[in-house]
Amino acid sequence: MLLAVAVLAPLFGSMIAGLLGRAIGDRAAQAVTILCMLLASVCGVSAFVSLVYGSATPGVVVLGEWVSAGEFHANWALRYDTLSAVMVAMVTCVATLIHIYSIGYMSHDKSIARFFSYLSLFTFAMLALVTADNLLQLFFGWEGVGLASYLLIGFWYDRPAARAAAMKAFVVNRIGDLGFAAGIALIFFIFGSIEFSTIFAGLSQHVNDVYHVLGTDFRAYEVIGILLFIGAMGKSAQLGLHVWLPDAMEGPTPVSALIHAATMVTAGVFLMSRMSPLLDFAPGAMHFVTFMGASTALFAATVACTQNDIKRVIAYSTCSQLGYMFVAAGVGAYQVSMFHLLTHAFFKALLFLGAGSVIHAMSNEQDMRKMGGIWKMIPLTYVAMWIGNLALAGVPPFAGYFSKDAILEAAWASHSLVGHYGFWCCLIAAFLTAFYSWRLLIMTFHGAPRADHHTMEHVHESPWAMTVPLILLAAGAVLTGFSFADQIIGEDWHAFWGDAIGVAASNHILADMAAVPAVVSMAPTVLGLLGIATAYAFYMVWPAIPGRLAASLPGLYRFLLNKWYFDELYDATIVQPASRLARRLWRIDGEVIDGMPNGVARLTADGSSQIVKLQTGSIANYAFAMLIGVVALVSLYLIVG
Amino acid sequence: MIATAAFYVFAAILIASAAMVVSARNPVHAVLFLILAFFNAAALFLLLGAEFLAMILVIVYVGAVAVLFLFVVMMLDINFAEMREGFQRYLPVGAAIGVVLLVELAAVLTGWKFAPGIATTRAAPMSALTNTAQLGRLIYTDYIFLFQVSGLVLLVAMIGAIVLTLRDRRPSATISRRQNIAVQIARTSADTMVMMDVPTRGPTMAHIKPLVTEPGEELADPIDTHAHHGGH
Amino acid sequence: MNWTVAIPEIALACLGMAILMFGVLSKARNTFHICSLMTVGALVLTAALVLSSNGGLGYNGLFLADSYAMFAKLLVLAAAVLGVIVSIDYNEHNDLRRFEFPVLMLYATVGMMIMVSASNLMSLYMGLELQSLSIYVLAAFARDDLRSSEAGLKYFVLGALASGLLLYGISLIYGFSGSMAFDQLALVLSDSSHASPGLIVGIVFVVAGLAFKISAVPFHMWTPDVYEGAPTPVTAFMATAPKVAAVALFVRVMISPFGHLLAQWQQLIVLIAMASMVLGAFAAIGQSNIKRLMAYSSIGHMGYILVGLAAGTQQGVRGVLIYLVTYVFTNAGMFACIIAMRRRGRAVERIADLGGLWRSDPGMAAALTIFLFSMAGLPPFSGFIGKYFVFGAAMQSGLVTLAVVGVLASAVSAYYYIRIIKVMYFDAPEPAFDVRPASLSIVAGAGALFTLIFFLFPAPVVAAAEAAAKGLFG
Repeated sequence: MLLAVAVLAPLFGSMIAGLLGRAIGDRAAQAVTILCMLLASVCGVSAFVSLVYGSATPGVVVLGEWVSAGEFHANWALRYDTLSAVMVAMVTCVATLIHIYSIGYMSHDKSIARFFSYLSLFTFAMLALVTADNLLQLFFGWEGVGLASYLLIGFWYDRPAARAAAMKAFVVNRIGDLGFAAGIALIFFIFGSIEFSTIFAGLSQHVNDVYHVLGTDFRAYEVIGILLFIGAMGKSAQLGLHVWLPDAMEGPTPVSALIHAATMVTAGVFLMSRMSPLLDFAPGAMHFVTFMGASTALFAATVACTQNDIKRVIAYSTCSQLGYMFVAAGVGAYQVSMFHLLTHAFFKALLFLGAGSVIHAMSNEQDMRKMGGIWKMIPLTYVAMWIGNLALAGVPPFAGYFSKDAILEAAWASHSLVGHYGFWCCLIAAFLTAFYSWRLLIMTFHGAPRADHHTMEHVHESPWAMTVPLILLAAGAVLTGFSFADQIIGEDWHAFWGDAIGVAASNHILADMAAVPAVVSMAPTVLGLLGIATAYAFYMVWPAIPGRLAASLPGLYRFLLNKWYFDELYDATIVQPASRLARRLWRIDGEVIDGMPNGVARLTADGSSQIVKLQTGSIANYAFAMLIGVVALVSLYLIVG
Repeated sequence: MIATAAFYVFAAILIASAAMVVSARNPVHAVLFLILAFFNAAALFLLLGAEFLAMILVIVYVGAVAVLFLFVVMMLDINFAEMREGFQRYLPVGAAIGVVLLVELAAVLTGWKFAPGIATTRAAPMSALTNTAQLGRLIYTDYIFLFQVSGLVLLVAMIGAIVLTLRDRRPSATISRRQNIAVQIARTSADTMVMMDVPTRGPTMAHIKPLVTEPGEELADPIDTHAHHGGH
Repeated sequence: MNWTVAIPEIALACLGMAILMFGVLSKARNTFHICSLMTVGALVLTAALVLSSNGGLGYNGLFLADSYAMFAKLLVLAAAVLGVIVSIDYNEHNDLRRFEFPVLMLYATVGMMIMVSASNLMSLYMGLELQSLSIYVLAAFARDDLRSSEAGLKYFVLGALASGLLLYGISLIYGFSGSMAFDQLALVLSDSSHASPGLIVGIVFVVAGLAFKISAVPFHMWTPDVYEGAPTPVTAFMATAPKVAAVALFVRVMISPFGHLLAQWQQLIVLIAMASMVLGAFAAIGQSNIKRLMAYSSIGHMGYILVGLAAGTQQGVRGVLIYLVTYVFTNAGMFACIIAMRRRGRAVERIADLGGLWRSDPGMAAALTIFLFSMAGLPPFSGFIGKYFVFGAAMQSGLVTLAVVGVLASAVSAYYYIRIIKVMYFDAPEPAFDVRPASLSIVAGAGALFTLIFFLFPAPVVAAAEAAAKGLFG
C-alpha cells in the first residue's frame, strides 16, 4: 500500500500540474507536485525501512489487469522486495530534493508548471520501472523515463542545441530499446511469460535451450543477456551508445542531476540486478558486460580530463561511474553495483546541484575557463562540491570510497581475464577521476577570477531552496557509505537483500572479495590521492603545465578533447549515409510511393466522370440499362449457375 | 382441333399486331394495333373458357384505356420524325438484347415441366358456378386482403390525379373552375334563354342572349359560357 | 381467417382516409399543417398498435406478422415520422402546403407495411405498387417545377418497367412451381431438384424488379435524377422509409421462399452488391449537387446492405437490419440538414454552398460532420457498426472478395464524404443560411445524437435485430 502511494503520488502531482497548471498558477503547481513528492518519499522510505528493518514481507501488489491476449498476460503490479524498495526510497528522496532545488533554480523561467509536471512525470515513470513485476511494465517505465528525459532535455525548446540534444537522446536510446524489446520477446518465447516470478522459477528448465540464428546455435540465456545489456547500454550511456549523455546537459541542471546522474541512467544497472538470477547462467554475456563497463569507465575518465564545460565534465564522470557499476554487475557482484548506484546517486546529484549553484551564481556561465576565485563568495556551494568530489574520488570515509573499493576488489576477485582487465581499467580511471575532480574544483573556485567584473559583482550564494538540498545530499554523500556498507555488501548481505537478488550457487564473489590482497584494497585510494596531488600541482602550483602538456602532445590532446572522435565517427559512418539514403528514399517516396495513391486518385476521378457520363437523363437509356442488366443477370445464371 | 387452329390464328395476329404497335410509323395506327392486340388476347381468354376475363379485357382495356391512349396521342403534339430517329438509334441495341433474351428464354422453356406438387395445389373445378360467380367468391373471401389493397391503390391514384392536375385552390388561378352540379341541374330553360321575337331576315343567333345565372361565377367574357355550361 | 393480424395496417389506412376527409371538408384555408401533425399522430398510434399486435399468418396466407415484420415496420414508421416532420417547414416555404402530401406519405407507409408483411408474391406486388404509386405522385408534387415533374415521370415510367419485370418473374415462378405463397414455395423448393431453370430465371426477374426499388446497380439509373428533381423532403422520405421496406422485402423473398436456392442466387446478389458499392463510391466523387451525391451515396449503402443478404445467414440478416437502423437515422438527420440549406427563402443544394459553414453555424456543421463520418464508416459512429456487422457476416460465409471490395469501396467513398467536411471547415465562408426551424433542428439533433452514441448502447438494437432475423429463419 505504501509502495502504491509512493508510485502514484508523483503521477497525480504531474497530472495536476500539467493539466491544470495554467488554471492554478505556477505557485500552486509547485506546491502540489512537491507535496506529492514529499508524500511519496515518506511512503517510499517507510516502505524500505519496514521491509529491511521492520516486519513487512516481500510481495506483489496487483493494481489491475493490463493486457490479456491469448496466452499473454500482463498485470499492473508493484513488486515489493528490497531491490525495488531501495530504489523507490532513493528515487523518491533524490527527486524530492531536486523538486525543491528547482524552486530556486527555475524561479526565473517562463513555464514553471510545465517543468514540475515533467519532473513528476519522470519520477512516476522511474518508480514504475523499478517496481515493475513484469518485463512489460518495466518496459513501460523504461519508455516513460525516455519520454520524460526527451521532454526535459528539450525543455528550452527555443534553443536549437536543446532540441538537437533531445532528439539525439531519443534516437540513440531507441537503438538500445530495440535490443531490450527483442530480449523481452525472446524471454516470452522461451519462458511463456514475462512475469519475473515465472521466469525465475523456470530458469533451471531452460538452461540448455539454444537459439538458432545465422546457422549457428547460441545458448538462449547468452542471447537474452546480450540483448538486455544492449538495452541497458542505451539507457546507461555505455561506450558506443554514450554519445547522447554529454549533449543531454543542454537541459536544465536539476534535470541533469535527477535524470542523467541519479536515476534514469542507472536503470540499466538496475535491470542487470533485477535479471541477476538469469544472468548468472550467462557467463559469456557477463564477460561482455564487464568488458564494456571497464572500457567505458576508462574512456569517459580520459575525456573528462580535457573538457571545459563544468556540466560536461560531470556528465563524463557519470558515464565513467556507470561503467564501474557494470564492471561490478559483470563479475556477478550485483550487490556491489547496486551499492555504488546508491552512493553515486547522492554524490553525483550533489555535484550536479553544486554545479548548478555555481552556474546560477556566475550568471549562467558554464565554461570553467571563465570562472575561478569565487570560493569565498559562495562558501556553502564550495564545501558541498568538496564533499561531492571527495566521495567521487573515493577518499575515505566518504561514500564513494566504500563502493568503489568494493568494485575493484570484486573485479580482482573474479579471477578471470576480463575481470582483471576491468580491475586495471578501473584503477587507472580512479586516478583520472580524482584528477579531473580536482581540476574542476580548482578551475572553478580557485585562482584569479577569469570572469568579467560585471559577472563577478553578481556572484552570490544561492537561495535556501537550493542550498538545503545541497546540504541534505552532502549528508547523504558522507553517510551512505559506511552506514550501509556492511549490510549491503557485507557477510550477511542475504539478510538485507532477501531473495531480491538471486545469485547462483556457483557465485560466491562477495566471499572472495574479503580475501583479496591488502595492496588491491589500498590501490584505488592511493591512486585517488595521487590524482588529487597531480591536479593540485598542475592547476594550483604550476598552472602553466597543462598548457605545455597539451602543446607537446597535440594529437592526444585533440583526441581527448574531441571525445575520441565518437561523434565524428558516427556522423561519417551512420548519420551521413543514413541521411543520404533518406534523401534518396524521400525522392522515391515522392515519385513512386506517392505516385501510386495520386495515380489511383486520378484514376478514381476519371472513372467517376466516365460513370457519370452514363447518366444521360434519357428515360430510354435508363430503361435500356435495366434491360441489359436483366439480360446480363439471366446470362450469368445460365452460364455460371 | 378447331380450338387449336383458332388459338394459333389469334396468337399469330396478337404477336403480329404487338409488333406493329412498336413499329408503326403513325402513333394513331399504333394505338389501333394495340386495340387489335387486346381483342385477340380476349379471344384467347375465351378459348380458355375465361369469358369474364375476356369481357373485362375488352371493356376496360379497349373501351377505356386504349381509347384514352388514342385521345392522348391525337391531342399531344408529338414530333414523329424525332421519335423515329430515337427508335432507329436504339434499334440495334434493343434488337440485340431482345434476341439474347429470346434465346435465353427459349433455352429455359424447352426444359419446361410441371412441378411435381402442382396437381395438388390446383383447386378442383367448380363447374356449378359461372366464371363471374367464382371470381366474386374468391375475391370477397380468400383474396379480400388484396382486393382492399387494390382499392387503396386506386384511392392513391385518384388522389395523385387530383393533386397533380387540379388547380382551383389558388385564389389567382383561372384555369379551371369548380362544377356546381346542383345549380346546373336545377336550372331551367327560362334561366338561360330568353325568347324574343325577331325579324325573320335578321342574323340567326342574335336573339339568344346568355344570362349570368350561376352564383359565385363572375364571367368576364359572356362568350365563354357555352363551353362552361357544357360541364367538364 | 385471422384478420386481426393486420390491425395496424387497417387502422393506418382508415386514419388516412379520415385525415383525407378532414382535409377535403375542412373550411380552414390551409389544412396542410394540421394534417401533417395528424399524420404524425396516426403513424405513432400505428407504431403502438404494431408493438401490441399479435403475430401470425392471416388472410389465407397472404399476410404474415412476425418479429421480422414487426422490426421492419417500426423502422419504417420511425422513418416516415421523420419524413413528415422534415417536410412541414419546407412545404410551407416552397408553396407545397397541401394536405394531400402527408396523406400520400401515409399511404406509402401502408404500402411499405404490407410489403414487409407479405407472405405471398401477390401481396408483395400489391404493397409494392401502393408504395410506389404514392411516391411517384410525391416526386412530382412540385408540379410547377419542371425538374420535379420530370422526376415523377421518370420514376413512374421506369418503375412501371420494373413492375413489369417483377410481374413477369412472378408469373414464371408461379408457372414453374405452382404456387405464389412463400411457405408453399419453400416446401416445394426444399427438394432442390424442383428448382427448374425457368424458376430460377423467374427469380432473376424478381430480383431485378426488387433491385430497382432499392436502386441497386444496374437498376439504379433513376436514382440521381429523381433524388435531385423531387422536392427535398420527398427525397429524404424516399431515401429512408421505402428503402427499409424494399430491403426488408428483398431479404424476406430471398430467404423465406428461396432460401434453399442460396447457391443459385448468391452469385447474383454478390455481383449486384459489388457493382453498387463500387458505383456508389466512384460516381459520387464528381458530384457538385448534394442531393445527387446523396443518391449515389444511397446506391453505395444499398450495396453494403446487400453484402449482408449475400451472406444468406442469420448473422447476415441481423447485419442488414442493424445497418438499416443506422442508415435511417443518419440519413434522416443528413437530409434535415440539407433541407435547412436555405438562403433568403430559396433552397440551395450545391456542396459549395456549405463553404465555411463551421463559422456561421457550428451546430449544423458538427451534425453534418457526424453524419458524414458515419456514412464513411469511421468508428465509433453508428455507420461503422452497421458495416462491421454486414462485413463480419460476409466473412463468416466465406465471401472474402466481396468484403474486401466493400472495404475498398468504403475507403473510396470516404473521400467524397470527407471532402464535404473539408468544404465546411476550410473553404471560404458563404453567406449564412436562413434561420433553421425547430423541427429540422430536432430531427438533425436526434439523428446526430443517435449516430454519435449508438456505439455505447447498441445492445437493444442488436438484440431486436437478432430476434427479428431468428423470426425470419424460423
